[in-house]
Amino acid sequence: MTAGPEVVAVASPPFPSVGLGHDRRGSWIPTWGMIATRFMELRKRRGLMIALVLVNIGLPVVFLTIRLLAHAFAPKSYGPAGGYDVFNALVAGVLFVFGFIVAATLGCTAGSVDLAEGMFRHLVVTGRSRLALYLARIPAGLAIVVPLVAIGFTIVCAVCVFAAPTQINYQGANVPAGLSVSGLEHWAANHPDDVICNFPSNGPIATNVSCGGPGGGPGGGPGGGIVKEPSGSVAPSQPTPAMIRAEVVQIAQQDYSDYAKVFLYPSNSLMIRTGLWIELEAIVGFIVGLGLGSLLGQRTVAVILMIVLEIVLTPILSRANIPHLIDVQRSVVGLAVAHLEPSGLGFVFGGGGGPGAGPGTSRLVPESRTVAIVVIVSWLVGWTALGAWRMMKRDA
Amino acid sequence: MSTATSTPTADRLRSESEWAVETHGLTKRFGANVAVNGVELLVPRGCAFGYLGPNGAGKTTLIRVLLGLTSADAGTMSLLGHSVPTHRARALARVGAIVDEPRFHGHLTGRQNLQILAAAREPAAKERVGPSLERVGMQHRADDKVSKYSMGMRQRLGVAACLIGDPQLLILDEPMNGLDPAGMQDMRDMILSLVAEGRTVVLSSHLLDEVERTCDAVAIVDRGSVIRQGAIADLLAGSSMVLEVDCSDSDRARTLLGATTFDARVEVGPLGLHISMPAGTPRDVIAEINRVLVEGGVSVYRLQEIQTSLESWFLQVTSRLGESS
Repeated sequence: MTAGPEVVAVASPPFPSVGLGHDRRGSWIPTWGMIATRFMELRKRRGLMIALVLVNIGLPVVFLTIRLLAHAFAPKSYGPAGGYDVFNALVAGVLFVFGFIVAATLGCTAGSVDLAEGMFRHLVVTGRSRLALYLARIPAGLAIVVPLVAIGFTIVCAVCVFAAPTQINYQGANVPAGLSVSGLEHWAANHPDDVICNFPSNGPIATNVSCGGPGGGPGGGPGGGIVKEPSGSVAPSQPTPAMIRAEVVQIAQQDYSDYAKVFLYPSNSLMIRTGLWIELEAIVGFIVGLGLGSLLGQRTVAVILMIVLEIVLTPILSRANIPHLIDVQRSVVGLAVAHLEPSGLGFVFGGGGGPGAGPGTSRLVPESRTVAIVVIVSWLVGWTALGAWRMMKRDA
Repeated sequence: MSTATSTPTADRLRSESEWAVETHGLTKRFGANVAVNGVELLVPRGCAFGYLGPNGAGKTTLIRVLLGLTSADAGTMSLLGHSVPTHRARALARVGAIVDEPRFHGHLTGRQNLQILAAAREPAAKERVGPSLERVGMQHRADDKVSKYSMGMRQRLGVAACLIGDPQLLILDEPMNGLDPAGMQDMRDMILSLVAEGRTVVLSSHLLDEVERTCDAVAIVDRGSVIRQGAIADLLAGSSMVLEVDCSDSDRARTLLGATTFDARVEVGPLGLHISMPAGTPRDVIAEINRVLVEGGVSVYRLQEIQTSLESWFLQVTSRLGESS
């Protein structure tokens, strides 16, 4: 090899030549700069961000706004916008599922776009560890997902607390919330017709009271309609106020434990636990989506698979009791997360709530809390390992 | 693959290797297809080096293997004296490369794309984003989205992406693609200026004219193997001597030359005689041919030695290979 023709230098602006400095590009630990720029890359996807905000924040906001307006204009026809029941419905019915889908969509995007858009090759040529390139996406994506879910959840909590009804509807009767045992007894004594006609009673009723229609009140009020009578009575007798009072106080004592489970609005403790639970579901969605996106190398198919998992497979596998597949069913991450649902919350996928849960009966495939935690951790670690492995082995 | 051990002294010695790129027996297979076949390549430091070959010859595959974008099946290689993949991170720390068409995140600006790449390099790289954009003439469009860039602008951005690593070695795969004549001139000037700064530029291209104007040395690759490599001047000196003769009677001239002892291949064409002689033929033979023709009664109007271009030499080399196969 010999020297070639003389090369003519061309005037160019001064170009800083800086040493490698603290260059640790072989390390698997991503740098702050990598995370920050990856966050920027995801955040700048305007269409995706708008879609995610609309689904995760827009849907509850629209729903609650309509309820607020309807209640404001026709309070007798439409109940308050907030309250415990609305919280239950929005959290278990909307935020849980849509939070997962939003997070999974972002995860699939983060896991696949570098390859799809040709940046992966540039990044590999920097010499940076591919594992570090993969791991940088996790905090960057979670920095978007977690606040997004938190904002949607906070809006729901705020409306449910500040626009909550002033009275509990317990078994069809409007009852003040948060009463003590004696408070409920006192209230029952003053509203005997509501108690006798609506509250469930374990034993025979000693009085006969007309319910359900005009003029049916026990105190000589409007009666008619259904008449509750003591069982085995031969001839109806007009109860004295003292008898009625004793009766309703007894019923109130019997029903207090049920009544105490019904709230005007969710407690702070329940909201915090629910918020963490919703975030857990979103984090699972993001990590699994990231791994799947990286594994497949394309976003669309990965997103479709994640939606099918959440909307179709998980509800079916969570409720259908298939003896030969019971362990497979228990390994579904959505079921595992549902089993960690805070007690006092409505049931997601028609089940959940865990031991000591709120009203209703869980129809979920049974699973212990420990197994549920193991399943969730396995999914997080497994999909991260799969996604990272594919990225490290993939031809760029 | 190389299994060289790493010590600071050994690394320093290796990094002072005279070769920017060194491969021995490098092989890459895709199933039964051998894309890179035992390549022996030596690229000296501080020069512009052309890597030439017809489409499908394995140029891009070799570059991808060198950069660790795909793994090699056999052989050893080193970049800037650091064996790859053993010391891949250290080797690539001072390498910049464009492979195939440069593509970036379209929803981000050119500057933001470079910031992502700078973050993956050493901390000082982010300070070079601005100067790199300025150097490739993109400072005025740096804050526009890449989706609005032309192909030529993306090529420039690709070069800027290489420069943020302050590379000692740049590997550019078809960097002239999509450039207009002015853009090609700018790119050529930029490559020459980079070489003038002591950097090594490996230029993979099928634009032979551009390579001849830009590069000091070349390697020709065909069917996965390097078939020739060396300084362009040396390689062309080894090509056959070609003469064109415009004369009064081409057929008689051919007969006269056929009777001589010159090892000449004579063909009659529309512009007269086309005479090819083996490499190394002394230039005195040109005068002797003129004498034979004139003494044979043929009037010579023009006798011209044709300088062999890289393109014609490339075609000779590759066509010979085609004939032999």
